[in-house]
Amino acid sequence: MKAKDIMELVTCDYMCLMPDETIKEAVNKFRRTKLEHYHEGVKGLPVMDEAGDLVGMVAVKDILRAVVPTYMTKALSEFTWEGWLDASVKKVGDTKVKEIMTTHLITVSEDAPLMECANLFLQYNLQRLPVKNNEGRLVGVIYLRNIYYAIVRILLDEENGHDQ
Amino acid sequence: MTNELAPASQVFVMDSSFWVATTLFFVALAIIVSEKIHKTIVAVFAASLMIIFKIVHQHEAFHVEELGVDWNVVFLLINMMIIINLMRPTGFFEYVAIKSAKAGRGEPMRIMIIFSVVTAVLSALLDNVTTVLLLAPVVLLISDALEIDPVPFLIVQALAANIGGTATLIGDPPNIMIASKAGLSFMDFIYHLAPAVLVMMGVFLLVIKMFFGKKLKTREELKERIMSMNELDAIKDPTMIRKSLFVLGVVLAGFALHGIFHYQPATIAFFGAGLLLLISGTENPEKVLAEVEWPTIFFFIGLFIMVGGIVKVGFVGLLSGKMLELTQGNLFATSMTLLWFSAFASAIVDNIPYVATMNPLVIDMAKQLWPHETGMALLQHPDLMPIWWSLALGACLGGNGSPIGASANVIVVATAEKAGRKISFMRFVAYGLPVMILTVAISMVYVWLRYYVLQI
Repeated sequence: MKAKDIMELVTCDYMCLMPDETIKEAVNKFRRTKLEHYHEGVKGLPVMDEAGDLVGMVAVKDILRAVVPTYMTKALSEFTWEGWLDASVKKVGDTKVKEIMTTHLITVSEDAPLMECANLFLQYNLQRLPVKNNEGRLVGVIYLRNIYYAIVRILLDEENGHDQ
Repeated sequence: MTNELAPASQVFVMDSSFWVATTLFFVALAIIVSEKIHKTIVAVFAASLMIIFKIVHQHEAFHVEELGVDWNVVFLLINMMIIINLMRPTGFFEYVAIKSAKAGRGEPMRIMIIFSVVTAVLSALLDNVTTVLLLAPVVLLISDALEIDPVPFLIVQALAANIGGTATLIGDPPNIMIASKAGLSFMDFIYHLAPAVLVMMGVFLLVIKMFFGKKLKTREELKERIMSMNELDAIKDPTMIRKSLFVLGVVLAGFALHGIFHYQPATIAFFGAGLLLLISGTENPEKVLAEVEWPTIFFFIGLFIMVGGIVKVGFVGLLSGKMLELTQGNLFATSMTLLWFSAFASAIVDNIPYVATMNPLVIDMAKQLWPHETGMALLQHPDLMPIWWSLALGACLGGNGSPIGASANVIVVATAEKAGRKISFMRFVAYGLPVMILTVAISMVYVWLRYYVLQI
């Protein structure tokens, strides 16, 4: 199996965000996106520009980073007050996707073997991995769940084989 | 105070190595100031070229103090960084900051004053970069809690750090460099600079009270946010806090006594770092050592060799001769000129390369003035002392003149920008330059009164 066999297909109008959308709109898309076979709702989506090129990714962590002030350190964790999160969330709701997206992206080719994908997930602590075709265009996203289900399939099929 | 001009101590010719070294130095300095390439890379490469072109020999660069690396400065910095790196994650700084905010009872003006004092003291005893790096986030937190503009707070904090750092040998890199070159002790700095800094701090606090007193307002219910914080929550590792405060106490006592026991400050810091590493029980010295700010250390190493090059070819001697000509050997005029020139120069360029260049210049000037003196008798000639103090005061306080004048300023501006509160160049200058001029003016009166009128 290759990357393209387990990825979720991405199209411009589905499974993807635009740079000028707001955090509010992004969160709404997260909620409405259905992954094939598995689940409703995602915690991250790729960002594509007008030309259809991949320009970034936005995930829950990026939204948290927008909500929690940058100066908060581990040592300051306890020094917060009631209602601060609410106020901060309301403040950042209209922030644009392009301001919070991650732009240093790890991507994989659609023909990459699954071991390459699995290794990337591990090495870079990824939750999702954009997949590009030979022309360098975004064609899909592998979610951690996709690769996990691929492992489950192999494992359970093999065990079935031994049992029979 | 006027002295006969002695002939230059060294005869030199403007041969090709003179021009190579001087060009190399100023091209490198221009690139450092332009910030096109990281200053450490420029300094290291330029230093290596000084050796490759045989301006200075490797032996001189590494083993001759006048022409190469001042290891006393390098090891003092490395070891203080190790001590501070071990202290940083304990939560001690955050504890002190939150406690200060509560001591100010959530009143912005009072908090600003207390924070300024705490920042100045910590900057004097540790270093201003760490102090500002760890306290700036707390300032932002407190401002958010009180719903006030953090920018004046942050700028005031950087200014206080630079003023406080002026007071001690370890407070600011220019002082470390001057101390090493002139053989001055920790107590010399306390005795000669701390009184001036105390006066400056008093005036500084008065000025910020007058300036911000009416402007900083918050609501009663917001003060409650501060008062309900428990500063003990900041403490992540109480055992380590005790250990590091103990070692810090030992190190400060060691600094206070190093002149008596004839230890160099670097030896005291080396002992402190070794002791804290030992009793911290860390099994991972790699991490602690990797966190040493190596770019800063290598910047110093590179600079020392770069400056060694222009010292050896006689450029610095030429400059010092010109300076004496300019002030006609009048040392009072020299020290006043040096004070103001250093302040403005340090506001524009990094004060570290500035002092690295000025140190040999002052020494060369001394050689021209007192050709028969050598060693400590020359370096600490009674008439030379006000010159050293003027250089230290000018270089340290000049850092307040612009956002790029001192590392503490750079950090404050960067922290604010990351938090979405951009401090423009001019906004910093609007606060910093008047404070710089005020504190340098106080220094001027201080140097004049203490060394030329009262002569104590």
